[in-house]
Amino acid sequence: MLEERIRMMTQERLELAKKLRFYDCNVWLGRPEGFPLAEEIPPERLNEVLDERLITGGFVSHWRGKTVSPQQGNESVLQDLRRQTKDLFAAWTGLPLFPSELGPVPGSTETPKEVRGVRIFPKSHHFPMTDWCIGSLCEWLIDRRMPLFVWHTELDWPSIYQIAKRYSKLSIVIETQVQKILYHTRPLFLLMRDCRNVLLELSNFVGQGFVEYAAREFGPDRLIFGSFLPVNDPLVAMGMIIDAEIPEEQKALIAGGNLRRLATEVRI
Amino acid sequence: MSNAFVIDAHAHFGYVGAFFTPECEATHLLAAMDKAGISHAICMDQLTVLEGAAAGLEPLRDLFEASGHRVYYLGTFDPRRASACMEALRQAKDWPGFVGLKLHPSMHGVPAEDPVYKQAWRFAADHNLAIMSHSWSVSSYNPVQFLSTPERFELHVREFPQVHFVLGHAGGRGSGRYQAVRMANEYPHVYLDFAGDIFDYRLLEKLVQSVPVEKILFGSDIPWMDPRSHLTRVLLADLEDSVKGQILRGNAIRVYRLAVS
Repeated sequence: MLEERIRMMTQERLELAKKLRFYDCNVWLGRPEGFPLAEEIPPERLNEVLDERLITGGFVSHWRGKTVSPQQGNESVLQDLRRQTKDLFAAWTGLPLFPSELGPVPGSTETPKEVRGVRIFPKSHHFPMTDWCIGSLCEWLIDRRMPLFVWHTELDWPSIYQIAKRYSKLSIVIETQVQKILYHTRPLFLLMRDCRNVLLELSNFVGQGFVEYAAREFGPDRLIFGSFLPVNDPLVAMGMIIDAEIPEEQKALIAGGNLRRLATEVRI
Repeated sequence: MSNAFVIDAHAHFGYVGAFFTPECEATHLLAAMDKAGISHAICMDQLTVLEGAAAGLEPLRDLFEASGHRVYYLGTFDPRRASACMEALRQAKDWPGFVGLKLHPSMHGVPAEDPVYKQAWRFAADHNLAIMSHSWSVSSYNPVQFLSTPERFELHVREFPQVHFVLGHAGGRGSGRYQAVRMANEYPHVYLDFAGDIFDYRLLEKLVQSVPVEKILFGSDIPWMDPRSHLTRVLLADLEDSVKGQILRGNAIRVYRLAVS
């Protein structure tokens, strides 16, 4: 009886996961930093790992973009992506546009067609997230309709609020790693209420009832599935979406529709 | 609800000053259990986790009754208020639904091996109660976690082999996990729950390969974590259905000696 119930619940979730066509903004290649139990995904196994977790594609980043340099990470992710067959794009690592830096970084070279998003690490790469420092990068992104990604642990709330207000045409995706976003829900939710251009990645958005609350308060078009593979199991964030008490159309937007729209709107 | 069968071995309710959450009251806990197919939970409220059983276990006893005996509870032993906590635990020992003690060395600032805990372990042994403790790995951004690394409990674990001891969060996301796995293998009465944000890729498959399956308990850490964030990864894990059944239900019944069929 119990095993029959488990089989049924498993089957229901498998079917819905396939139907929702998960599209992931937060897949990582390279050696994870700060998570000693996490194992790197060999690039040749990426398709297999994504298939196994029913993920149809998404944006891939490289840890070297944070741990070594944006240039090294951007080059590595492009090299690794060229071996893939899935619907995958690169999220590059960005820097302030001045002083102008050499190598494959936004603003210094022609942007490859695989690049559909830029992530910044203001704390790790030692620059403030202020208008005078990253304003030109924001303009560069707006010109290309390219989203900006940032981990909540890399930002400060007053600065992100100012940037989101000042650059209202820039899609800013706040990512819920690499520590609990839960402890920052007060500023996060105020930011989302006041700035329609702020979106939220969901890999660690796991508090009780959070998906229903955010869909209701801010709209399902502002929530984006991300797994944080290979540190996190994608099934965590997928479970929050699959089991959410929201209409299936909203689940489909969150699971992949919103990110696909961002990817197709990019103009390079 | 009639089909609910999961037992959440690590649940909380109550307001938490450190963050906003839209659903943290006891009524939300019951609603969340229904949404996730959870029949029973092992629960602690936020006030007694912070201040110990001395702050009053009556709300937990009342919730057990009001929930139709679905929400069992633990009494927290706070070593800073040892006498008052022991008095409250003695008072609660025969209350229906009271199934064990909770420890949280990191929150209470007293290392797990400290002799002050011995009275709590003795009490659990004398009254056939389980102990569940917060456990974690040494953390660069949360230094107090070093007080709860699994091996710090070992002195008490060795002295009280009759006490079912659950390492909550399975030792966390770093070196504590290795210690937790070692202890679950070494001691027949040590168990692991995977509550909290230990969201490692293929965690369930790895745990089942590392320790006997009867050592693994489903736990959520609600409201910090929505139980639905853990449920799908168990159901879709590459494991036999019978194994999933043990993790989701059977093991908690045995470890906490729950009066459910």
